[in-house]
Amino acid sequence: MSDTQLADWRNHALTLESEVNKVIVGQHIPVRLITTSIFARGHVLLEGDVGVGKTTLLRAFTRGIGGGYQRIEGTIDLMPNDLIYHTYLGEDGKPHVSPGPILMSGENLSVFFFNEINRARPQVHSLLLRVMAERTLTAFNREYHFPHMLVFADRNQVEKEETFDIPSAARDRFMMEIPIVVPNDDSIMESLVFDTRFHDADKLVSNVPENILQFDQLNSFASLLQNSISASPTLRSYVLNLWRATKTPTDFGVKVSGVDMNRLVLSGASPRGMAMVLRAARVNAWLNERTAVLPEDIHDVFHATVAHRLVFSPVYEMRRTEIARDMLTGIIHAIAAP
Amino acid sequence: MRPSNLNPYFLNLLFLIYSIILGTQPAMADVVLPSINDKYIEIHEVNPTRDAGFVVGDVLERTITLTVKKPYELVKESIPIVGYEHRYQGQISGIELVKISIEEKKNSDSVTHVLHLSYQVFTTGKLAKPAALRAEIVKMRNTEKKELLQYRIPSFAFRISPLSVFGAIKLKEELSPLTPPLLIDSSNQKLHVKVLSSLLGLSLLGLLYIFGMHAWLPRMGAPFAKAYRDIRKAPDTTEGLKQAVGRMHEALNKTAGTTLFGNNIESFLKTKPTFAPVKQDIEKFFSLSRQVFFEADGSSNLGENSSKAWLLKFCRHMRDCERGLRPETSR
Repeated sequence: MSDTQLADWRNHALTLESEVNKVIVGQHIPVRLITTSIFARGHVLLEGDVGVGKTTLLRAFTRGIGGGYQRIEGTIDLMPNDLIYHTYLGEDGKPHVSPGPILMSGENLSVFFFNEINRARPQVHSLLLRVMAERTLTAFNREYHFPHMLVFADRNQVEKEETFDIPSAARDRFMMEIPIVVPNDDSIMESLVFDTRFHDADKLVSNVPENILQFDQLNSFASLLQNSISASPTLRSYVLNLWRATKTPTDFGVKVSGVDMNRLVLSGASPRGMAMVLRAARVNAWLNERTAVLPEDIHDVFHATVAHRLVFSPVYEMRRTEIARDMLTGIIHAIAAP
Repeated sequence: MRPSNLNPYFLNLLFLIYSIILGTQPAMADVVLPSINDKYIEIHEVNPTRDAGFVVGDVLERTITLTVKKPYELVKESIPIVGYEHRYQGQISGIELVKISIEEKKNSDSVTHVLHLSYQVFTTGKLAKPAALRAEIVKMRNTEKKELLQYRIPSFAFRISPLSVFGAIKLKEELSPLTPPLLIDSSNQKLHVKVLSSLLGLSLLGLLYIFGMHAWLPRMGAPFAKAYRDIRKAPDTTEGLKQAVGRMHEALNKTAGTTLFGNNIESFLKTKPTFAPVKQDIEKFFSLSRQVFFEADGSSNLGENSSKAWLLKFCRHMRDCERGLRPETSR
């Protein structure tokens, strides 16, 4: 039974992936990572320049997943209340309170899309911390549950004015931080500019069929999936070594050009982070029709799941994307399995 | 008194006395017996290896092997005895027999006597002088006729040197073009040179070994050559297969200069094109590795291409590629 379920869901997942790939061209790796994240039940943070299609990509996935979808724009004056409720004067002249974006869909909320999350204040990040970690929220003297909710957020890494750094605790709640870069392929670049299909994002996203996945069954299936894919002792040992290397890369001979490795890492990957690596790797193995996790599955998700969890010395923070990439690549090259 | 008046009894007594005197005279002096015919005696001498340079106190060893044929036999009492003071022309010669031992071996028609004689020099002089280990005279008895004969063991001549040079010596006058220069004793220095040369040689060999990637022959220490030797020793069991696959991974990683996985074989072959002919085998190896190390029931489902024999063959092909050769599969 479970084998059939695994195969059926795999077909759904691959259909979703292929539909999104039709709409968002040249982003096969981010699309695979987001699919992985959905089935691993992890939140996703997209990072990239302005206008590269981050929002469109997330909207396309949201349409395919189905369920309640809410969205909010990060601004400097956004307060936590704004996520929970808003007040207005009704036609009757009396003040009214309506549920905010988080509460509006109730338990059916499947995707909460936070656009430009780095423009929001730390207070908002704090609220989000709890919602992401516990999928609950206390408001109006009661507790709300969002069992199917995934947070998709994006931020642009170019603009620094009127933005707030996302604290490491908040970053750690995201399963993946996925960089979105403009594809290098000439034909893709040309079609993005000249193909009018890509000029209207709303119309483009509407090409993705709705409800490819059944959002309210994702949790139970994710649990089945995680229990079905095995991890051998050799792989466990390999993952532990990877984890150790994120804390003390010098012990494994990892070097990054122009960086004092002894001073670089203040904190490596967290236990939650490494657990998320394994969850994502299991999904990757499943998507590749395997019943056991291989080192290659770890590699496919390693950068996206670990890079944003590393805490570097402040002096290296400005170059964190580049340094994290080089360090994690160095770790993969340095550690053998078996 | 006239002689005719002499009593015949008295004459007989005189004649008897005269006869006794005449008969005992040879016994009182050195009795010289007739020499034995040489055909009855065989002699073999082992004399000192040099015949000069002996000084007072030196002991000279001499071994005489006498074979006496029947009907003659050696008279044991005639063998020289220790401590006998030998004189030559009335003078003590100063060469004294200090030890003797005798061995005897009886044959059917002869008896062989081996005499080990040790002489010590008790004389010296201001100048070198001649001396000799005396000629020992032994007696032979004919057992059939009761005849007594003698045999002379030849003497051995040598020279005795003084212990020190006598009187003042003018070295300049003593020098001869034929005299080699006096040499300083350099045996210690020579020994040092030999020891240090050996150490230097060993160090150079060690250096060669280190520079040669810990191998005595070119490419002998290359990763796959080493792995091949290790895999050959691995037991032909599941655990042995695991060890062997692990060993192959080590060799691949070392050759690639990075950790090689199933998803970067292409980039490995780009940087090491000599391994391109065995690409399929490399992929097969990674498939085997997955079965052995990562898949839950992988070890129990190993196929024909997953045996140690296959792994050994694969390693040999990799070693061939490492040496710049084409592996036999692609020939």
